[in-house]
Amino acid sequence: MIVYLSQEELDAFAIDRAESLLGYAYEWEGEGVVHLHTRSLTHAFGEISGCMFSKSAFCTDVVEDVRWLVFIDEGCIKVGLRVDGGIQYVGFQMIPSKENLYSRSKGILEIRVLQNKHVAIIGLGSFGSQIAIELSKSGVGEFSLVDFDRVELHNLARHTCFIKDLGRLKTDAIEEAVLGKNPYAKIHKYPLDISKNRMELETIVSHVDLVICATDNNPSRFVLSQALFDFQKIGIFGRAFTRAEGGDVFVYRPGQACYSCMVGNIGVAQEEITNEASARQNGVIPAYVSAQDADAMVQVGLSADIEPICNMMVKLALVELSKGEASGISCLEDELVYNYYLWANRRERKFTNWHVLPGAGPMPTIMRWYGAHISRREGCAICSDDEILLDIGDNLE
Amino acid sequence: MMKYNRFKAEQEVLEAKLPSNIYRFMDMNTSRPYLVMAARTNRGNVYTLRIELDMFPDSIPQVFVNKMLYDCNNNPLDTPSSTMHTLNSKNGCTQICHYGSSSWTNRVSLYKVYIKCRLWLEMYEAHLSSGKPIDYYLKHQN
Repeated sequence: MIVYLSQEELDAFAIDRAESLLGYAYEWEGEGVVHLHTRSLTHAFGEISGCMFSKSAFCTDVVEDVRWLVFIDEGCIKVGLRVDGGIQYVGFQMIPSKENLYSRSKGILEIRVLQNKHVAIIGLGSFGSQIAIELSKSGVGEFSLVDFDRVELHNLARHTCFIKDLGRLKTDAIEEAVLGKNPYAKIHKYPLDISKNRMELETIVSHVDLVICATDNNPSRFVLSQALFDFQKIGIFGRAFTRAEGGDVFVYRPGQACYSCMVGNIGVAQEEITNEASARQNGVIPAYVSAQDADAMVQVGLSADIEPICNMMVKLALVELSKGEASGISCLEDELVYNYYLWANRRERKFTNWHVLPGAGPMPTIMRWYGAHISRREGCAICSDDEILLDIGDNLE
Repeated sequence: MMKYNRFKAEQEVLEAKLPSNIYRFMDMNTSRPYLVMAARTNRGNVYTLRIELDMFPDSIPQVFVNKMLYDCNNNPLDTPSSTMHTLNSKNGCTQICHYGSSSWTNRVSLYKVYIKCRLWLEMYEAHLSSGKPIDYYLKHQN
């Protein structure tokens, strides 16, 4: 039998006045694995039964039907399993406490800095869900998760969620995933549409250190961009092009070009359409397009196609969050200096004429990142210090 | 919701381009602001346009003609139509499909939206005369 105890919970129990408490045993049925907790988990798993935690061996006698017993006596811990009226002592392992959970990353990441960082993730689709989990694995301590959507069948191929999550709010499902990696993370959930709840969005943005912008349409990115500018927060935008032939990542750093400047400078990209319902809602698929034609417009890339883009967003986030702190990731500060990164994924459409990898030398090829500096745009609708230069239709014939 | 500096910029463009008596911003301090504009076609017909501003400029504003229009066969223009560049009607008013979402940026002015709708009205009247659908005259935008 493999038994796990939580160091953090045992430490709390050791200094508690109570002599004993009735906790929970979560057992993976038929797998010989059990996790013993002093408190119930938000998202339970396996077969649940009682577990008596006690500072005195005598106390456990009163609860006959409890199968698992944990004795704590002056730093000595014993785990017992009732078998045939007697107690059989078994070995156990500890789930490390908060400060030691990600000790393996020490030297690469400054864990204590990240523990105190608060990241908002707007959009918990195939991008946002992966990024949330990666950041929690890196030790980021606080998350605001924003998405009004629920997990649906068409999400599953690229999403981190499972079939068992179908129908759940993405905020709930990703909360579970984040806590599964970092049970000490603080999570704030906002199942709302940011385009229709600007005040709430502003409140969220004002409280965080960094925003991951993982929505799938420009209107919501413009809304976010305005909030980032208003509260002078760092934002990282990512998206995939049609069928994930490539993608790009844009970093907003206060004082530099905003997302709206980026759109003004490089134009509107042909983004992949992943979901007919949401594309219709956003007008990306016009209302007059038939269901059959709309089905043909929904062309998504593989999960593996968008992972490089998510990874880049995660690395940029970690670099931005760790800035000014000596860590193994600091060296990336000299590399990731651009605010725009283009990812070429397949030699299709805009990348058709790029060189094949073998023998390409310095010529442009796929499977690479290309960085660029995007300048602030004069008269930008969001970040201009001067008058806004509107598009008044000079190009109309 | 439109920021004040954007509202001023829109006002300045409209003041410079149009007579002040053909447009009016309405309910600007509410959650459902809109702009009412009059448009006179080359044939002399006057239409009233209602441009909804609750999501402007982040999203394409919905534009309605303040009545139901009918095609040359006397069918109401009340449903999404690719050939007629229309979307779902609301409150008995025809909605014009005036902008492609992939082309929309938050720099597009209300004046430009107005001009595009003016063009649609001209083509609508051309359709009534010729029987040809509006997309015979107007290209689709991405």
